Amino acid sequence: MSKNPGGQTVSTMLPAVGRRQFLGATAAGMALTVAGTRRARAAGRSEISFASARFVGKSAVAKMIERYNSSQSKVHVSYIELPPPAQSTEVHQGLVQQLARRNGTPDVFTQDVIWIAEFAGAGWALPLDSYVAQAARKAYYPGVIQACTWQGKLTALPWFLDTGMLYCRSDLLAKAGAKIPQTWDQMVAISTQLQQAGAAKYGYLWQGKQAEVLVCNLVEVIASNGGAILGPDGKDVLIDQDPAVAAVQFMYDTIAKSKISPAEVLSWDEEPSRRPFTGGDAVFLRNWSYVDGIAQDPAQSSVAGKVEAAPLPHFANGKSAACLGGYQLGVNANTKNREAAIDFALWMSSPETQLVLASEQGLAPTRPDLLDHADLAKAQPAMSRLKQVFMGATPRPVTPRYPQVTLALQSAVSRALASGDVKSELSAAKTRIASIVAKS
Amino acid sequence: MSLSNPALRQQMRATTSASPSAVPWALILLLPAAIALGAVAVYPILNGFWLSLRDTSLATQDDNFVGLENYWLLASDPLFWNAWRHTIIFTAVATLLETLIGLGMAIILYESFVGRSLVRAAMLVPWAMPTVVTSKMFGWLFDGQNGVVNWLLKTSGLISDNINWYGSPDWAFVTIVIADVWKTAPFMALLLLAGLQTVPHSLIEASKIDGANAWATFWHVRLPQLTATLLIAGMFRALDSFRIFDLVYVLTGGGPADSTETLSTLSYKTLFSTLQFGYGSALSTVMFLTEIVIAIGFGIFIVRKMRRAS
Repeated sequence: MSKNPGGQTVSTMLPAVGRRQFLGATAAGMALTVAGTRRARAAGRSEISFASARFVGKSAVAKMIERYNSSQSKVHVSYIELPPPAQSTEVHQGLVQQLARRNGTPDVFTQDVIWIAEFAGAGWALPLDSYVAQAARKAYYPGVIQACTWQGKLTALPWFLDTGMLYCRSDLLAKAGAKIPQTWDQMVAISTQLQQAGAAKYGYLWQGKQAEVLVCNLVEVIASNGGAILGPDGKDVLIDQDPAVAAVQFMYDTIAKSKISPAEVLSWDEEPSRRPFTGGDAVFLRNWSYVDGIAQDPAQSSVAGKVEAAPLPHFANGKSAACLGGYQLGVNANTKNREAAIDFALWMSSPETQLVLASEQGLAPTRPDLLDHADLAKAQPAMSRLKQVFMGATPRPVTPRYPQVTLALQSAVSRALASGDVKSELSAAKTRIASIVAKS
Repeated sequence: MSLSNPALRQQMRATTSASPSAVPWALILLLPAAIALGAVAVYPILNGFWLSLRDTSLATQDDNFVGLENYWLLASDPLFWNAWRHTIIFTAVATLLETLIGLGMAIILYESFVGRSLVRAAMLVPWAMPTVVTSKMFGWLFDGQNGVVNWLLKTSGLISDNINWYGSPDWAFVTIVIADVWKTAPFMALLLLAGLQTVPHSLIEASKIDGANAWATFWHVRLPQLTATLLIAGMFRALDSFRIFDLVYVLTGGGPADSTETLSTLSYKTLFSTLQFGYGSALSTVMFLTEIVIAIGFGIFIVRKMRRAS
């Protein structure tokens, strides 16, 4: 490949197919397109590749790479373009196929937080402890560092994040003489009061569809009660413990008992739950940061200027929690050019790059200090108000078997929410999940 | 195949009544089709079966021969049986409804009336629509809060409270059946209409002369003549609806409470979300075997019917 000054050819992206790579080069070739590689590069540079989902616009990631390539003269990065993050199953497949070859391509990649343990467990991600000192890790949100750590080792570098948050109708809160609720009980009380007064059709909207987003809602409610789904070692299954049972019972009660949520939430993911809220029918909504832009836009929302984002409520004895999403950086354990790969990954995670990423592309920084930055406040005023929300960032269960664990959770919790038989569904889930994580 | 055996050669000559030199030619001409079929049908099936005997997982990098272990796991997996049951029920109910409604449509469209050809063409629109579009459309129609179906039912006084079509385990499955019936009944109608047109007109005239009313003509003349078509169309539909995927994937994702999980959605999740290729292949193999059983079931009736006819 070094003989080819025009950049990598397609064949170097698709090396000889091994026995295990039965999915074959064709599938990978379809999933990955080599972009931006036909650029002349200065002689003597180290060549590395960077695989990433296509965030925001078509050229957002390519622009970042260009910025890096022109900022120094030692390393040249080429971009392996993966599908957009909305097709995360395909992005996951594309990465797994590449990494499983263990041939060092891609040298650096971006990964959804829920894949970090899987890639680390498979030995595909380079531990980064010797490159990122403990003190430097303090500059990131603790929840993100937790998600990037597998068996005590830092195996991913924080890049950008998103979390769940509570959207409130400030005009309705004023009408009820209430402040933004701190606890779930307060939220139920405010909702009921406003619903009974006829000021709002619904109290609280969330996402109960049997899908990944249900697990996000679940993590938030359980963690806000001091509980967890898996213990810190990734082996203990805690989903049948009292804090988790009480949390799922609360989710069920919002529909069946307090009736602050319509039964339709059981089939809603993000957008179906967002529409009634921006249509003015609800007091509270749990959703991601993208809703703010829509809610404040008078063309798309009938409640523009009346919406405020806040940390989600918690149980009386717990702390607010926000399910962590977003993509983080990984370095291929088999990279042939470790120094260059690390340099690029550290640059991508640096405050300067994150600030550009946040101001220009709207991807929220994983460094809390940046949210106080004057430039960001100017470019993304809504984002700069979310510092406290992101403080509650809580990872989903950290286990290499996450894809199987999440399917088991989705099934069990959806059953519990439909039947109300919370305890027995969660103890069945415990058995199932225990047998899944025991193998890892 | 060796043709050196004179008895065999004799036999082939007798059955094909071809000259000896034509036989190798026939085989050569068959070769492209055989290779194509082998490459796109036989090989993937055999390879899928081979994978189902291994614990291959792309994520964990396991790849060992485990014999029938995947099948034992499958047999004790409640989620598999849940999906299997849903798929069988869906296939039976959807095929039956589509056949009945399709038959009704075919009978109406067989009669001549003003604008018949327009109606015949329009009837095919639901079937021609991409299923993802159908799914999105039904998502709006059956929306629990603002859907037009709930509004109609409520306005006409049939229900007092909105039905939670997709959020309730009892209704979600029904809604998917309705969507599938809407989409594919026209296809059945088309097949059955073709069948109806093969019924000799003389038979209908004879029955009229004998004084049979419309119902008797249908029941004693048309329907018996239509049985073979019904069975073949039913088999197509059953095998097709057994693979139901897109409606479920777009509308409910298998939920709520696994109430709409089918074998196709479950194997998609197992194969492509969790990347357990071994276990997922066992799931697909069982799916394939079930389809074979369904096909054989229909096949027996079809063959019997044809024998009787000839």
